[in-house]
Amino acid sequence: MRETQAYIERIKRVNRSVQRLELAVDPALAELKAGQALLVRAVDSNYDAPLWYPYMRALWFPVERGASHMLAFELPADAPYTPGQLLSLLGPVGQPLRFRHKLRSLLLIAYDSLPSPLLMILPAALKRGISLTLVLMGSAREYSTQHLPSEVEIFRADDDLAWPDMVMTVGWADQIVVVACQRQEDSRFARVRQLIERRRKDIPAQLLFGIWQRALPCGVGACHACMLREHGEYKLQCVHGPAFDLTAMG
Amino acid sequence: MAIDITRPGKHNLQIATAVMPAAGTFGFGDRYRKLLDIRHLGALVTNPVSLQARAPARSGQAVPLDAGLLLHTGLPNPGLRKVLGRYRQLWASLPLPVILHLIGSSPRHIAQACQLLDEVEELAAVELGLPDDCELETALEWLQAAAQLEKPLLLRLPFSNCEALALPLAEAGADALVVAAPPRGTVRAPQTGRLVSGRVYGPLVKPLVLRMLGRLRREIPPDLPIIGCGGIHSPQDARDYLEAGAVAVQVDSATWLQPKMLERIARDLGGRMPTRQVDALLDEWHPDMGQTAVLERRPPAPQDD
Repeated sequence: MRETQAYIERIKRVNRSVQRLELAVDPALAELKAGQALLVRAVDSNYDAPLWYPYMRALWFPVERGASHMLAFELPADAPYTPGQLLSLLGPVGQPLRFRHKLRSLLLIAYDSLPSPLLMILPAALKRGISLTLVLMGSAREYSTQHLPSEVEIFRADDDLAWPDMVMTVGWADQIVVVACQRQEDSRFARVRQLIERRRKDIPAQLLFGIWQRALPCGVGACHACMLREHGEYKLQCVHGPAFDLTAMG
Repeated sequence: MAIDITRPGKHNLQIATAVMPAAGTFGFGDRYRKLLDIRHLGALVTNPVSLQARAPARSGQAVPLDAGLLLHTGLPNPGLRKVLGRYRQLWASLPLPVILHLIGSSPRHIAQACQLLDEVEELAAVELGLPDDCELETALEWLQAAAQLEKPLLLRLPFSNCEALALPLAEAGADALVVAAPPRGTVRAPQTGRLVSGRVYGPLVKPLVLRMLGRLRREIPPDLPIIGCGGIHSPQDARDYLEAGAVAVQVDSATWLQPKMLERIARDLGGRMPTRQVDALLDEWHPDMGQTAVLERRPPAPQDD
């Protein structure tokens, strides 16, 4: 964990609702793994006079690692950032996602949320020859996927949260990772769990993971604002997360 | 120069720098060690600890506000015995005094906790957090329950009732007062759409607490130290508290935004801020730079024979 600064090198509009920011970051942060994030806040050029709005650091999940310590992030198009802006980065926040050793088929679900926290998984998984399916549900259906690798099978769920070949994609998945709207994670995760339960005989432990994106005041485990219960133990999203086994929550 | 942050007497606690983190913002000393140099701080105040374990609030969350945040956690902690078991060794290795922030639910629990705490050599003092809606009678009962404590006892006053409690508690024998706990607020939580109450942090808290502290300083006996806490986000904010009559300050949410700010405030008040050399280039100096970095970047010029 360290605090560093980075300039926004480039901003590209991915589609009508999403922009892509590229930052040249400290070498230590360039090694961020899928699941890990940064807490980001705009600062002025003296690192000094704090900018009060927004007050809290924002949680950014990288979507891609580039050459020369470059990290790319996808944010809503209306997020007020400009090229050349100086950012303070705190990270890495959280633990890398844990994948099964013999993972062959991975199902990724974005429900009413940008799929950004899932996108870092793609390059490494494709390199390992893992079959990847991305399902976009609710408002996530509007996300344009043209820039994603062609090897990723992409479905857009209908209003009943069903998609073609649903039984097969759910049944064959060795692991399922879900990301949901930050404001209604609990209900969205419960809905997805219900959906999976209807299509699989059983859901073993370590199969169905949810990625939490709660607002994090500190990001280091000091404020205890992000405490969750997994396997009967209290854990912190910023230290032990962001991915937790959805069958062991509560 | 040592600073007395408690009343003179056998329970006196002296610290080297008038800056420390506020309870609930810094963990137990293990969380920020990689992000700032804690040697510059005067003391470390732990997260709140109760005698029995406390579960997090069911609807616990941080709600962003304009220029601030509201935090509702339920003050979860594993209980005093577990905290002592986990962190005693760490506290012994820290280069600064550790103050445990104790929260209670009854005078009996406070008395039991104090009995345990007196045996913990690694702790320099105890800060007792009074509940937000605390009446004078309750506050005096709690203070009396903690009276057996041999260690210095700091009382953190609730924001809402601070002025009514301060003088009676000062007369009843508190070793120091911390003014004040974060004010409570209510907002509509985006997650549930319901109203949620919690602690409010942000720069706007400072003028409110600063005024209160100034008034209290005039009212309570001068030998009773007051520690200022609330909305400090810069060295100047901390100096304002000292000017208003505080002997030391506690920094709260600024540490979350800019962890180095806590160290910067401590170095500034401790007179250990490296000054910018007149010929330093833009990237050769910044306020968070430590003395070591300055020396590494600017080796002394070779002497001509």
